[in-house]
Amino acid sequence: MFGILFTNQIQVMYPEIFLGLVAFGMLLLGRSVKNPRVYTAITMASLFIALFLLLTFDSGNETLFGGSYLINNFGLYFAVIMIISSLYVTFSAGATLKSNPESFFSIFLLVNVSMMVAAFSNNLIYIFIAFEGVSIGTYIMSAYGKTRRNLEASAKYFFTGIIATGFILFGSSFYYLSTGTFNLLSVNVSRGPMLVALIMLFVGFGFKLALVPLQQWAVDAYDGTANPVSAFLSTGTKVLAFLIILRVFIEGFRNFSTDVFYLFVIVSIITMTYGNMAALSENNVKRMLAYSSIAQAGYLILVVAATSASTTSAFVFTVAMFTAMYYSLVYIFMKGGAFLSVSAVRKDNVEIDDMAGIGTISPAFAISFSILMLSLAGIPPTAGFFAKYYLFLALIGSNLWWLAVIGILNSAISVFYYLKIIVVMFRKDVDGKDFNTSRAVIAPLVLAAALSLILSLFIFAYPQISAMATGLGVSI
Amino acid sequence: MLDYAWFIFLTPIIFAPISALAGWKGKNIAGILASISIFISLALSFLLFLSIRNQSAAIYQSYNWFANINAGIYVDHLAIVMALMVSFVSLMIHLFALYYMKEDPRKNIYFGETALFTGGMLGLVLSSNLLEFFTFWELVGVCSYLLVGFWFFKPNAASAAKKAFIVTRVGDLLFIIGLAILYSSLNASGVNDPLSIPYLITNAGSVANAIGSQNLTIVALLLLGGAAGKSAQFPLHVWIPDAMEGPTTVSALIHAATMVTAGVYLIARVLPIYATSIFASDTVLFIGAFTAVFAGTIGIAVNDLKRILAYSTISQIGYMMAALGMVSVIGQSAVGLSLYHLVVHAVFKALLFMVAAVVLLVLMDLRDVKQMGGLWRKMPITMTLFFIGSITLAAIPPTAAFFSKDTIIDASYQYYLANGQGIQFLLPWIMLLLGAFTTGLYTFRMFFLVALGKPRSKLAEEAKDPPLIVLVPLMILAALSLGLGLIQYRFYDFLTPSAEIISVPTLPTYLPLIMVGIAFVIIASIYGTGLWKKMDLSKSRLYRLVKSKYYLDAIYTRGIAERVILPLSSGFSRTEDGFSRSVEKTGGGAMAFGGLLRRIQSGVVEYYFVFLVISIGIIMILLEIMGGI
Repeated sequence: MFGILFTNQIQVMYPEIFLGLVAFGMLLLGRSVKNPRVYTAITMASLFIALFLLLTFDSGNETLFGGSYLINNFGLYFAVIMIISSLYVTFSAGATLKSNPESFFSIFLLVNVSMMVAAFSNNLIYIFIAFEGVSIGTYIMSAYGKTRRNLEASAKYFFTGIIATGFILFGSSFYYLSTGTFNLLSVNVSRGPMLVALIMLFVGFGFKLALVPLQQWAVDAYDGTANPVSAFLSTGTKVLAFLIILRVFIEGFRNFSTDVFYLFVIVSIITMTYGNMAALSENNVKRMLAYSSIAQAGYLILVVAATSASTTSAFVFTVAMFTAMYYSLVYIFMKGGAFLSVSAVRKDNVEIDDMAGIGTISPAFAISFSILMLSLAGIPPTAGFFAKYYLFLALIGSNLWWLAVIGILNSAISVFYYLKIIVVMFRKDVDGKDFNTSRAVIAPLVLAAALSLILSLFIFAYPQISAMATGLGVSI
Repeated sequence: MLDYAWFIFLTPIIFAPISALAGWKGKNIAGILASISIFISLALSFLLFLSIRNQSAAIYQSYNWFANINAGIYVDHLAIVMALMVSFVSLMIHLFALYYMKEDPRKNIYFGETALFTGGMLGLVLSSNLLEFFTFWELVGVCSYLLVGFWFFKPNAASAAKKAFIVTRVGDLLFIIGLAILYSSLNASGVNDPLSIPYLITNAGSVANAIGSQNLTIVALLLLGGAAGKSAQFPLHVWIPDAMEGPTTVSALIHAATMVTAGVYLIARVLPIYATSIFASDTVLFIGAFTAVFAGTIGIAVNDLKRILAYSTISQIGYMMAALGMVSVIGQSAVGLSLYHLVVHAVFKALLFMVAAVVLLVLMDLRDVKQMGGLWRKMPITMTLFFIGSITLAAIPPTAAFFSKDTIIDASYQYYLANGQGIQFLLPWIMLLLGAFTTGLYTFRMFFLVALGKPRSKLAEEAKDPPLIVLVPLMILAALSLGLGLIQYRFYDFLTPSAEIISVPTLPTYLPLIMVGIAFVIIASIYGTGLWKKMDLSKSRLYRLVKSKYYLDAIYTRGIAERVILPLSSGFSRTEDGFSRSVEKTGGGAMAFGGLLRRIQSGVVEYYFVFLVISIGIIMILLEIMGGI
């Protein structure tokens, strides 16, 4: 009777099943225990166990459910780094979540379940379900705290999010209409319906990545939610959306790569420029970071542009895939750390000037934050530099000089606002400021800064990481 | 596994920061640590010397640095001789500096820098790759800059450091251009590890075939440019006299014995390349010979004790260069001639500089030789050492320089004979002979003015010897100056198996010595009798020409620097101002644009949807147009 539990199909689901059980157990426990530390500990522990289970049961190469669910290293890599991003958020969230921690963390774990499912799915319906699991969970998480600001942010996020849901379903049905399957394959069909499917799916998935013109929820949502939630929204779910975009548009629309190419080039140029320009004149730190994460998303999708160009080659594909995987990993820490660091100022609506003088009160904070900013700006020897380096290498490799130049110019613009905040931090006027420089705030930041430096060593894993890209199932 | 030879240059480099830190607040430990590290280098060099003494194969160990550049060590007989010389002379100077720098509050920095310098110099000597060589070359350049400007609070020292740096930079630029040409052309013809020294010196012929002999000549000339900058050859010699503003031990270490000979070593290292091109080797010969006489004439007119020694250094390096330039006639034996003089010169010039250091210390940094006089009676031991150094510099038998320098002059006569006795081939010999004559002139003038006669200032009257113990390194060097002549032919054979024996007719052999004798007579009659006080040379045009160093310094500063470089740089800076203003304007525009973009972010969800639908529509249309089939 229990034999079914040990079949392949179930074994690969062990991490998901385990996290789901813990989530429900947590809800039950919530009736008696209210201490947030307990839930932080449970969440951390179960995420670690899930990581272990992932590496144990999902490290093979398997095709399940008629090609809808692919177990391979590509999905595994993304699943692992999404769990790592959740671990990072949990590590730093505990102190700031006071009321109803059990519901927050159980939803958080369920979101993780969906993320892991999405990482391995190769079928638009599977992806849709997992994606919705993540979306709905994050709608609730962004309302956490229940202040007026939180609720407003959540409502905006929700309303725009369900529009995206509609687009995904619509696009998926067009995909099905043309190809006769929901599985992502390279099929040769007529262009018209596929073009509709392309745009609709792009709108749906681009939403989570906050690409222009789908970015508008992002700034309000990041600004209005609690810091750990905005950190999670801008890291874990973004990586997920990016993974899905890689899958759907590189694999599923292989035969329409010209359309994919132009779509992504146009959107990424608009996105980069919009994000950087808007961030230039923004004074609110969280909104500035939100704009900067829009700009970063613009860089990320250049990977798709590089692989879809007609001039692409096997080398470019390898470099681009390495960029995608490496950038995602680096991005988690630099962006997550940056969002979390806003907690250091005890105040809503933190302006850049409110950070003035923190350099004298807590040098560790200021230096770590500076490292993160330098990494976001892409200045060596931080990991952010190497991520951008490989990105532009891929672009130049496929002869897209002009695109690389636009990207580099954008990077140059972005240096301005990243450096501005560093300069302000080391200014000397501290009077009347109330900083929270407790260990709970500093520790995650220092960790992120250290990783932003250490991860630059990962470029030596280039062969191993780029070998995982074969799991995408596309050969050039 | 690293060969222990690596530690010859790694030890001082590792010790440099340690001694600089350990000697914090002026403790003596800094100098002791630095000296120990250099002693280790010397001991290791000696061990290595013993182990490769009887084998002709070199020690070569290298690791991939990047791309197809392998960096490592390459120790053959040439390198080990140079390493022994550098570590030995550096040790002597360090030991003396323990006394000389005793009172300086920043001596920990001093010893850190000299240890780093010695490590860099040894690294340069043992490099197996020209790019690695260049890296160390720059390292010693930086150390030289730091040490010349060690007393940076003296305005002269600060500007001298800058001058030294900038002038050598001109040479370095030529050097790196030469390397770039060599690398790119060899790389294009599919050579693995193109800049490796063992490859270049064993395959000079095929290198010439691969890149064309004309290109190789250009490369050789560019490398010569680098060597001329570092080794202060005409026309890039102007920095050394100013570099005398640094501590005198620095002058002894860097600007007499070691760093300035790096250029000679560079050419000796890649001499097979010069052997492929008569034009390049002749250029080396003529520049060397011309510098020898040119710097010697200036040396006669200078009154600053250290600058006399500086010009004599330039002149003596000219001999080493000239010896290398004769590769077309005597082949690889040229290395032996040149290196022998290099070693001998390092020994006696370090000695002379350290004597000068003692004198300057005693005379409160009074440098004008006209104010000294009579010091032999006041400080007999120091002046005996000075005497030994001086006769060695003047190449009077049986000192070592007699054997080393006169052999070079003989070789230049052989060059004339071998080239069919054309009159233009006699020119190097004539210049070198006149060089020997000027050497005699300035050496004896210096010695007469400093040591003989009556004290001409109050300070000179009160001078006395320093404690004997501090003079021990000087005595060792003096003994070597006298004794090194014994090993002349063994030295030649060690560097070049079966070295050619220079043999020329009798008269040319004795002419250099006769020249020195004439010089002695002239100087003795002028400076030994007090006649010089009555002479007024300031009206003589020739004297003024020489005194103003042939106006070369003036041309460089006023002509090139002030008329060309400064207007150019101010022009650039004005352009850059305009550029940065335009960047500011763009920035302002971008800010305004960003503000406009942020206005879209109104917070009203309904508008978001309108915006979304419109822009998706636009993207669809764009896509249809651009991706159209």
